[in-house]
Amino acid sequence: MNRWFKQLGLVLIVALTTAFSAVSFAQSAPAAETEGQIWSQLKAGATGETTSHGQFHNQPINTYDLRLLDVRSDWLAPGLMLALFGMIIIFVVFIKINGISKLHGGFSGKMVYRWSKFDVSIHWLGAIPCLLLILTGLVLLSGRYFFQPYIGEGMWASMVYGAKQVHDVMAIPFMIGWALMTVLWAKNQLPKLYDLKWMMVVGGYINFGPFKGKHPDAGFANAGEKLWFWAFAAFGLVISASGMLLLFPNLFEPSRTLSLIALILHSVSAIIITAFSIVHIFMATVMSEGGMECMVSGYCDETWATQHHNLWFDEIKENGTLKYKDQA
Amino acid sequence: MATMKFLCDTKRCIECNGCVTACKNENDSALEWGIQRRRVVTINDGVKGEASISVACMHCTDAPCEAVCPANCFYKTEDGLTLHNKDTCIGCGYCLYACPFGAPQFPKRGAFGSRGKMDKCTFCAGGPEEDHSDAERQKYGANRLAEGKLPMCAELCATKSLLAGDAEIVSSIFRERVAYRGSNSAIWG
Ligand code: HEM
Ligand code: SF4
Ligand code: SF4
Ligand code: SF4
Repeated sequence: MNRWFKQLGLVLIVALTTAFSAVSFAQSAPAAETEGQIWSQLKAGATGETTSHGQFHNQPINTYDLRLLDVRSDWLAPGLMLALFGMIIIFVVFIKINGISKLHGGFSGKMVYRWSKFDVSIHWLGAIPCLLLILTGLVLLSGRYFFQPYIGEGMWASMVYGAKQVHDVMAIPFMIGWALMTVLWAKNQLPKLYDLKWMMVVGGYINFGPFKGKHPDAGFANAGEKLWFWAFAAFGLVISASGMLLLFPNLFEPSRTLSLIALILHSVSAIIITAFSIVHIFMATVMSEGGMECMVSGYCDETWATQHHNLWFDEIKENGTLKYKDQA
Repeated sequence: MATMKFLCDTKRCIECNGCVTACKNENDSALEWGIQRRRVVTINDGVKGEASISVACMHCTDAPCEAVCPANCFYKTEDGLTLHNKDTCIGCGYCLYACPFGAPQFPKRGAFGSRGKMDKCTFCAGGPEEDHSDAERQKYGANRLAEGKLPMCAELCATKSLLAGDAEIVSSIFRERVAYRGSNSAIWG
């Protein structure tokens, strides 16, 4: 505890209490009874009476593990930078070496129904705010270390202010999108035995070595998508819950220490969601030819369906739910 | 340069709230409704072991508020004070979570209780604006240090329980008191 106060520079008080404690112990036993009692009560977080109505003002001292602050500045702040920019670099290099996953035999032109209009809209209801939350969250967590030194004071002030405002507003549609996607899509995302085999060959996306040309089985969602779905569901919950504590302190009245813990959990979840998001975006837009169409029209090319989701395609063909887009 | 510190001698504090009033009066121009930079807390009120302590920002050396602020609005003065820039503050509240002394306070703004710009004790040393400018008075209140004066709260403490000033001097005054009282149990009760 003494180290704790030293770190704050309150050496003064602590030095005095410790310097004199030896004296009093030597003096008399009764004195030791009340020795430093008030001070230890204060250090232990005692609360009392005050005329102030300020928040937490009835408690003189609140202690917590100060290493929380180091975790945030030394690990989480660079961590989020890496999760975003590091992943982008890794992916660009990977695609340069490996190439993308082309559709064998090209587009068939026949478009298979895959997502409803409603599915497509809740995807973007979650996705667009998510992107903005990542960028604004990055400014809040890492900005003072990685951006502020390179820009002017006025520009930094508007940047961080704008980030907070946008973050606060975007949190709401994100949570609605997250909740709808998690609840409505879960049934298609349950793990199956063939997902293991998919993982073993990295989904058939590796274009060299023993993996080349493999097309593992996949249902409506492949194992990679399932992993993303459940990570998004779980860490989306953590980030929403911790975010609510920070956004509506008057509603939940969290303690200060709980708010700091929420801040840490929020950033850890942000790092995980960001890293997954980069992979997800690369897969959909660049890596998997024809993949993006699903979240534009809700339909996918028949070749794409047979190549990437063969079990699903076989199933809908068999049970008669296969629906083609009307060719206008 | 000096390192400025506060010290509250709980053996002397009589819970008169003179420091609170002195601060409110001195820094009135900057204090929005409901903001109180200094407060007196009484523990064990009315029972054995009752003690009162006057608390405001302690101007920590390795300040948690400074470490956690996403906008990086805190700065150290050459007097060892931890001050902040309200123009950069985004009202996120992190500093209030991190501060061990509950010093940062916020004017209420907006529908969901969103916060305005943080306010806390400046050690009566104003802010980053030009000394004694209107802007400084509006945002941070008094700048007594620039006039060679010490904080109003401590100056007006009737029992000289609350001491403010150079850490060396403050601690030597306190050490003298303790020596005079003759026992360590006379420090904190
Ligand atoms: C993809 C989703 C999200 C990401 C990537 C994200 C990321 C972040 C990051 C990195 C921070 C800074 C943390 C720090 O400084 O230690 C932050 C702060 C914050 N986040 Fe989020 N967040 C997301 C969703 C949410 C949601 C759903 C809410 C609300 C329910 C929310 C509310 C907040 C609040 C209130 C802050 C504190 C700063 C402020 O007042 O604006 N966030 N977020
Ligand atoms: S606001 Fe709190 S943490 Fe910051 S210097 Fe003052 S007492 Fe220390
Ligand atoms: S409320 Fe203002 S001073 Fe406090 S941490 Fe947030 S931006 Fe910094
Ligand atoms: S030093 Fe000045 S601002 Fe701080 S509590 Fe005392 S009177 Fe108020």
